[in-house]
Amino acid sequence: MTPRRTLMLLVLSTLGAGAVVLAQSRTRVDRHPSPPSFSGNVVVALCDGETTAEIPGVKEGETPTPAQARDVADRLMAAWREKNPSARWEESVRLAAAEQVGGTVQGEAGGLPAGPQGAVQEGHTYGAFSERDQRIWAAETDKFVQEGRRVFHDSKALGSTIAVSCDMCHPDGANTHPETYPKFQVQLGRVALLRDMINWCIQNPTRGKPLVDDDPRLKALEAYILAQRKGTPLEYGKH
Amino acid sequence: MVSRIAPLVATVILVAAIPATGAPPKLPPGVSTVLYELAVTPGTEPTPEKIALGEKLFNDKRLSSNDQVACANCHEPAKGFVDQKPLPDGVAAPKERPQRNSPTVVNAMFNATQFWDGRAPTLEEQAKLPILNPIEMGQKSPDDVVAKVRRIPEYAQAFPKIYGHEATYDDIAAAIAAFERTQYAGDAPFDRYLAGDEKAIDAAAKRGWFLFNGRGRCSNCHAFSTVSPLFSDQKFHNIGIAAHKTDFIDLARKAAGMVRGGDVKQVDELAIQTHFSELGRFLVTKQANDIGAFKTPGLRNVAVTAPYMHDGSLATLWDVMDHYNKGGVPNPNLDGGMQRLGLSEAEIDDMVAFLQSLTSPRFAELAKQTMARQRERKSVRPERDTAAAMGKKGHLGDLAPLPDPAKPAPLGVLVVRGTSYGEGH
Amino acid sequence: MAKGIKSIETRHYDERDAFFAGLRRMSRRGFLRLAGASAGLAMAKGLVPPHSFQLIEMAGAAETGKPPFTFAYISDTHLYPGRLNDRFVRAILKAVDDVNNLDPPPDFVLFGGDLAQLGQREELDLGHEILKGVKPPIHMMVGEHDWFFDMGEHWRALFGPEQYSFDHKGVHFVTIMSVQEKDFWTERHMTPMERMQTVAGLDNGVQSRFEVGPAGREWLQKDLEKVDPSTPLVVFSHSPLYKYYRPWNFWTEDADEVQAILGRFQRVTVLHGHTHQLLSNRIGNIDFHGMLSTAWPWPYAPEGLPKLTIQQNRADPFDQFDGCGDGSVEVTENGLANALYNLWDRNPVTVRASYLASGGANDAPARTKLPSY
Repeated sequence: MTPRRTLMLLVLSTLGAGAVVLAQSRTRVDRHPSPPSFSGNVVVALCDGETTAEIPGVKEGETPTPAQARDVADRLMAAWREKNPSARWEESVRLAAAEQVGGTVQGEAGGLPAGPQGAVQEGHTYGAFSERDQRIWAAETDKFVQEGRRVFHDSKALGSTIAVSCDMCHPDGANTHPETYPKFQVQLGRVALLRDMINWCIQNPTRGKPLVDDDPRLKALEAYILAQRKGTPLEYGKH
Repeated sequence: MVSRIAPLVATVILVAAIPATGAPPKLPPGVSTVLYELAVTPGTEPTPEKIALGEKLFNDKRLSSNDQVACANCHEPAKGFVDQKPLPDGVAAPKERPQRNSPTVVNAMFNATQFWDGRAPTLEEQAKLPILNPIEMGQKSPDDVVAKVRRIPEYAQAFPKIYGHEATYDDIAAAIAAFERTQYAGDAPFDRYLAGDEKAIDAAAKRGWFLFNGRGRCSNCHAFSTVSPLFSDQKFHNIGIAAHKTDFIDLARKAAGMVRGGDVKQVDELAIQTHFSELGRFLVTKQANDIGAFKTPGLRNVAVTAPYMHDGSLATLWDVMDHYNKGGVPNPNLDGGMQRLGLSEAEIDDMVAFLQSLTSPRFAELAKQTMARQRERKSVRPERDTAAAMGKKGHLGDLAPLPDPAKPAPLGVLVVRGTSYGEGH
Repeated sequence: MAKGIKSIETRHYDERDAFFAGLRRMSRRGFLRLAGASAGLAMAKGLVPPHSFQLIEMAGAAETGKPPFTFAYISDTHLYPGRLNDRFVRAILKAVDDVNNLDPPPDFVLFGGDLAQLGQREELDLGHEILKGVKPPIHMMVGEHDWFFDMGEHWRALFGPEQYSFDHKGVHFVTIMSVQEKDFWTERHMTPMERMQTVAGLDNGVQSRFEVGPAGREWLQKDLEKVDPSTPLVVFSHSPLYKYYRPWNFWTEDADEVQAILGRFQRVTVLHGHTHQLLSNRIGNIDFHGMLSTAWPWPYAPEGLPKLTIQQNRADPFDQFDGCGDGSVEVTENGLANALYNLWDRNPVTVRASYLASGGANDAPARTKLPSY
């Protein structure tokens, strides 16, 4: 190893830097003079006043790529944690990197960035759900949606007196636009929510008795319609 | 007479309330600031002088060819700015009468277009036409009107003072329109109810409001929102009023060959003087879909604007309800929204009670008289067809009348199937 | 207004009320025939005045020549028995009125398929009786809702073969059966009703995709053998004969093969049902026009919509007729077809052959203000 490299290694620490929020430390640092890099690379200084890290390959004045920025942040973070082993640091889960299972974020094993493993909070309240929990909940939700799908397609279940079912005008829930509620619904003459319009449609085009707010069929229909528009941005009031 | 002074007094009060700078006045509940701004565009703000001049012109019989007919003849301020007749009396009465019922001036400023067929886009354009119609006010040309007005001393003084030059036809219309822009009315019991006063309207009217939005199927065309509290969607619909005496197809064929595009004067004459009047909006747009279609009127103060519909053929609000209850009169162009309603007599009474609650305070006394007269006729119901309304005959609407939102279905049970993923896939 | 004096319309409607009342007590015999001479909305062929104004778009200055003839269509009526649902019955009666009041009358009327909703005898018989009231001669086309209960047995008994052709004023017309499906019901042990209900659901994905099938294609091939390529060809098909949206069976599986058979003709127009919407397309030398339904409108599919289609506005569920209608087709001197969509409660829309041929550059129909479905 060249002396230069040794010096670089000495200078290089690994800790989070930049926009990282410190959980415990409240020391105010007025100015942290960061040592210049031997190879002219940009040096990033952490706000603890002592830790620094270089971004290899990026000169002063140049902009690092997001990947490089994340990398130097990780290194500064790791270095800081090494220096402060007893600090209570809240792990933040990178949602972008996490895998999605049934529409919810997988919190536990898998999805966390490589690096020194932080402690994961245990417990038995809601926040500590497991993968098994998520699978169960997703399946139950889907069953509810499937029941909505059944009612949606069945004029008798809807209570239609003229054998008209929702899917006649809305195959696969098309043209329901649930993401546009609340909006002024011309047919109702007032600002309405999706559930109001479902009930109006049950009464008018299908000529069935209106469902009360608590009716599980109404909620299941709503669930099915919303499920068909997963991923559509919300745009209330849009016509 | 007291009844004549009251509206004048009201106007004076309104005039006093309008600041000289032309900033919008304080509007009562039930009158929308959004619509007011649309109706009173820059340059048309009513000033006290313009209002006074406009009111004078509005009531001046000398604007007509025979000095007998003023705007106020058919739009009488004391009678809610209507004349309480099915068809009005113009200069040619009683031999010939205009074929359209007089709409009220109250709140007319908020309409998107004027006249039953929307042939005038603004109040100014509307004011110009009846004066020149041969059987309404009978003047032959704008020049005749202007010449006559200029010879009248009060106007010879007033116009130069207000408009900077001698009277022109546009200015005459502008002055009348300025007066009309003060004739808005709100603060009805219904408005107070919406503002939170539970006792402002009685239980019948509340039930009527519920029906209005529900099984009555009214709110689609007589649209109400707090931003647009007019009870009108400003669109044109064929509800079958004239269908009992008109062969639309034949009439449309003849009219199609005759109506020149863009000639409002011709449309005005056809609409007022001839049986082509029944074609409604079709005379203006010549679109097949508009045959027999007329603008949805607003419902404020409807208690005082009897008789109803574009030809004044329905005498009371009960007749109106009967017409809708049976689904209108079938005709090839009947709006698809018209369906039999299946309302009972009690429900009809509730709806009439609701409509009465839309009366503004300044017409409350008048409404008492007009509704008393209507109630006298309540047992005479030429339009009623209960069998059709209940679905026992005819086919305007589905087998059964609309379900009642007050009678929902019993709580359902979701059939939970096993652990499989459901049918299908 | 004098009571007791009835206008023509009122008298007709009284007659029709009687017919309606008769429907409810309907037996398979004893029908009342629909009264003739009912007033309906004329599609105004004869209404062109000497001025530049036109009642509707039909007679436009851009026509290549005086149109030799028109035919009208009624399609996708989806009838239930009258006592169960009279809304759809009212709609087909309105269409029959419209067609009977065209002036001048069309040369013939096409029925575009899906007369019944669940292929029941009662439904087919009801439709049969109502269509007897159509004055011009009527050609029938079968849809999947008519077929898959009894595999076409009652349809054939009432209306004859499902594939046929005829010539009319120099144009060769072919009606093909394009809603065949590969057997999906035997392995699932479905009853006829279950099979029918599966086919009746647009979005269940269980049924097979529509196809003309090898036998149908062979029949078509043979029928067209004797026809000269310069003869204008009009094809009646229930499924679109192209690939629009597979999940809803807005699709013909062997469309490519069928289009290849039609490809040797210079002018081909396909008129299809099933899609219940204003739909236009052009592939190669073939124009495709979708027919409106009288019963209800389908929304546009989330993908696959042909670029040439100018959408109709979304329908208002308050108005049972909105988005529905009937129409007519004007066959020009060149043997090309302009499709007039008589949208109820809206202004008519014409989709011209010149619009399709120019790739949308000329004669575009009116646009909708609303955003896409």
